Amino acid sequence: MELPENPNKDNNGYESAEKIILRWDSTASEEAREKMIFETDRHEADLYLHAVDEIQRSLSNASISNTTTAAAVAVDDQTKVNSTIQIAMARLEDEFRNILMTHSSALEADSLFDPSSSSFSASSHHELEDDDAVNNEDSSHGDLLQLQLQHCESSDSSTFRSTSSIRELDLMPGEAISDLQAIATRMISSGYLRECIQVYGSVRKSAIDSSFRKLGIEKLSIGDIQRLEWEALESKIRRWIRAAKVCIRILFSSEKKLCEQIFECVGTDIDDACFMETVKGPAIQLFNFAEAISISRRSPEKLFKILDLHDALMDLLPDIEAVFDSKSSESIRVQAAEILSRLAEAARGILSEFESAILREPSRVPVPGGTIHPLTRYVMNYISLISDYKQTLIELIMSKPSTGSRYSGDQSTPDMEFAELEGKTPLALHLIWIIVVLQFNLEGKSKHYRDASLAHLFIMNNVHYIVQKVKGSPELREMIGDDYLRKLTGKFRQAATSYQRATWVSVLYCLRDEGLHVSGSFSSGVSKSALRERFKTFNAMFEEVHRTQATWLIPDTQLREELRISISEKCIPAYRSFLGRFRSHIESGRHPENYIKYSVEDLETAMLDFFEGYPVSHQHLRRRSQ
Amino acid sequence: MTGTDNQSSFLGRISIRRNQVNAMDGSHEQEIEDLDVFQKQVSDRFADLLSAPDDSPADAFLSISWIRKLLDVFLSCEAESKGMLLMGCDAAQISKSPLDRLIPEILDRVVKALDICNAVANGLELVRHCQRLAEIAVLALEQKPFGEGPARRAKKALVSLMLAMHLDDKESSVQKTTERSWSFGRRGGNKDRPPFGHYKSLSWQVAKNWSAAKQIHAMTMNVVPPRGPEASGLPSLVFIMNLIMVFVMWVLITAIPCQERNGLTTHLPIPKNVNWTQSLAGLHDKIGDEWKKKEKKGMAGLLFELQKMEKLGQSLIEFTDSFQYPGEKDKAEEAAKQVAELAEVCRRMEEGLVPLQMLTREVFHRLVKSRNEILDLLDQTAKSSSPVV
Repeated sequence: MELPENPNKDNNGYESAEKIILRWDSTASEEAREKMIFETDRHEADLYLHAVDEIQRSLSNASISNTTTAAAVAVDDQTKVNSTIQIAMARLEDEFRNILMTHSSALEADSLFDPSSSSFSASSHHELEDDDAVNNEDSSHGDLLQLQLQHCESSDSSTFRSTSSIRELDLMPGEAISDLQAIATRMISSGYLRECIQVYGSVRKSAIDSSFRKLGIEKLSIGDIQRLEWEALESKIRRWIRAAKVCIRILFSSEKKLCEQIFECVGTDIDDACFMETVKGPAIQLFNFAEAISISRRSPEKLFKILDLHDALMDLLPDIEAVFDSKSSESIRVQAAEILSRLAEAARGILSEFESAILREPSRVPVPGGTIHPLTRYVMNYISLISDYKQTLIELIMSKPSTGSRYSGDQSTPDMEFAELEGKTPLALHLIWIIVVLQFNLEGKSKHYRDASLAHLFIMNNVHYIVQKVKGSPELREMIGDDYLRKLTGKFRQAATSYQRATWVSVLYCLRDEGLHVSGSFSSGVSKSALRERFKTFNAMFEEVHRTQATWLIPDTQLREELRISISEKCIPAYRSFLGRFRSHIESGRHPENYIKYSVEDLETAMLDFFEGYPVSHQHLRRRSQ
Repeated sequence: MTGTDNQSSFLGRISIRRNQVNAMDGSHEQEIEDLDVFQKQVSDRFADLLSAPDDSPADAFLSISWIRKLLDVFLSCEAESKGMLLMGCDAAQISKSPLDRLIPEILDRVVKALDICNAVANGLELVRHCQRLAEIAVLALEQKPFGEGPARRAKKALVSLMLAMHLDDKESSVQKTTERSWSFGRRGGNKDRPPFGHYKSLSWQVAKNWSAAKQIHAMTMNVVPPRGPEASGLPSLVFIMNLIMVFVMWVLITAIPCQERNGLTTHLPIPKNVNWTQSLAGLHDKIGDEWKKKEKKGMAGLLFELQKMEKLGQSLIEFTDSFQYPGEKDKAEEAAKQVAELAEVCRRMEEGLVPLQMLTREVFHRLVKSRNEILDLLDQTAKSSSPVV
């Protein structure tokens, strides 16, 4: 078929171009199917591209010539040229796909992992390869009272390459990119843009899926996540945080760069469209996990991981905005922001839940020996951790705790006077409130001790522990404030005093002067029978107290010492003085040993048994006196 | 938002009436009356949906805009029923049977519904993909002058379209041929390349073992109308909430491609002899019948636009297949009509898919919110009923 006469047209050029196109028609020839032009050699590729250009030129010429030649002939020619173009475009599409696929594997391990990092060990590598393995790194203690104090996870991030900022990798060699560019330009100028986008998106999306698998990003439903044990979830969260950083900062940003490179000459809308076609699905898949976590049921042990997740996402937000900056990617930015706010809500809810849980903690079995209650340990460890997360939580916690009112007459909730706590951040108020609630609960628990002395000891031990923990953490101390600390200190001192009164007043009562002297006379009128009674009572009481209270425990050495000294200071001099004044009266009678059983030294020694938490026998005490 | 507007007026009416009535006996009667009003509303709204035309492209039954209406109805009903539940629920009732069992079950169902929303969002992406392929075909078919080049181009796109629409079809022979003949590498003498892309990239973004059919089945468990003395009041309300939620999720799954819909039940526990469920039952039967018919042949989903697209696509494939330049006039005219229809379908999709995705997302958010509110309710109950130390 001859083309119409046109001074601009080179018939030979068109014909040879057409020949080339038809030669490579893969629907027509075996050879054409077997080989790929752009893998064969550069010369072939260039020839082909020139041929395409030639055909395109003739198309525009043919449509111009519509006006000057017979319409039917022009239409015929145009149709034929269109047919050739379609063959060329189909071929170019295959070539495009092929080049993409050749260079579309998952990101290489060394782009992702830092082999020089010490934490890149076999076990963590294994963890990342194995999608389904439940991570056994964490010991599984479901018990609320065993808190995992593993908040120093930041060291784990060194397993991956530094992902603290956007890092665009070159995903393809320059030659491949220029080939792709060359093909894309021609497809687009022939009106085959849509096919180009489809092919691009499908190949690159597949590459991203492979990278996702390498990064250990799983497809889990919200139902799956509800059913998983929290320990398993913790390790998944850790893994997700590392993977998300790589995805946003390296993977997605590099894809964006690739789109920009390939579609450089044809305008930003197109490279935007290709980018979104590629990453929208994967991005949503990535965020779905974080979203599922933010929706999960709230319980105290989840707080710190949720804060980790929140912080990581917060940190990534500017990069998310940078990578997904077009109009069409708005939904992704919006979803990220939504998840962030849900995580913040979850953190707030958990804190509130925690406070209620402390108030409600119902165990009634008194801790033996009046020592530190597991609840106290748990709560104090928990709020020490909270103070470590101070930076984040100060931003998140915006409202005061809901406390009881002094005037409500509600006996089931303590109250807290805010006026005394001017100028404290809401977070600090919450921490103080937690301590208030803890004490309130402990007061209730102390009432289950039958022995009032033990109840006081219990309070003393526990409040002292609280004070020690606060003092031991500078952040915590700063937030709680020295005023309240003083209050707490006064409280445990008060408890110590109450204990002493409860136990020792009656013991020391035996050693009083009144009632021993026969009325009137001073020098020689001592009632021997009364005196004997006194000694007997004192001995019995002391033995009883010694026997009982040796099994009581004051874990803190210094506190134990102080209390013993305090008791001794009241007891020993009183006994010494009593002995001094009245021993002669007993010794002048029968069986003095029944009444004066113990020397002062005996008592001093016996003091050392107190609050050690070990039972002692009565004989034990006696033997010393021999 | 329609939901909250309705809610505020509806609840406003209830609370005014509540205040007017006496405490003890009055409140129970009030509950029954409120329930009746609510049931009537539900019935009316679903009746509106039932009366949609079958063939008008704009608002046809199971079209994109129809589904948007369905989700709006869901949001309204959800808002009202949840409002009634939260207002009417007190600690004493929740800790007793049957609410002590029913309320946690709602929570579980909501989680499944959330997963379905995500799967539907994913499915809508697939629909979008189909739209893109159809647009290529339309572009090619509308080309003037139309010749063998554009015809081949259109056919290629249409074949890909058909393949994409049958993505979840295990039985489809179309699918099998493609899978056999496609391999990742170019070597190995592969003669037949599929016309478009490779289907790994069209894989579902949902969990591997997740099955839409199983989700619905699990959601329908224990959804039974309460009997006897429980038949009015909160247990009844809970039943209605469950029923509506399951129904709407079920419709979504029939309409929009989702992973693993084989064996999807067509029998939802909608009570038959009750007045207010008539429209719901009518919809259920109509959609169920359609599903059964089409399931055997395999199809993407009952979405009106997808069905149209499939029909037109098949016909136009035949046209392009048999086309030889310059082609026959009457065939060309027929094809042109179909192309125009296909273009119209694409336009509807372009207009409606993104709003539908956003609406699905809104449903997601609402369900999360409601779940949180119910969880708070449960926690408060636990708080007030546990012994103070």
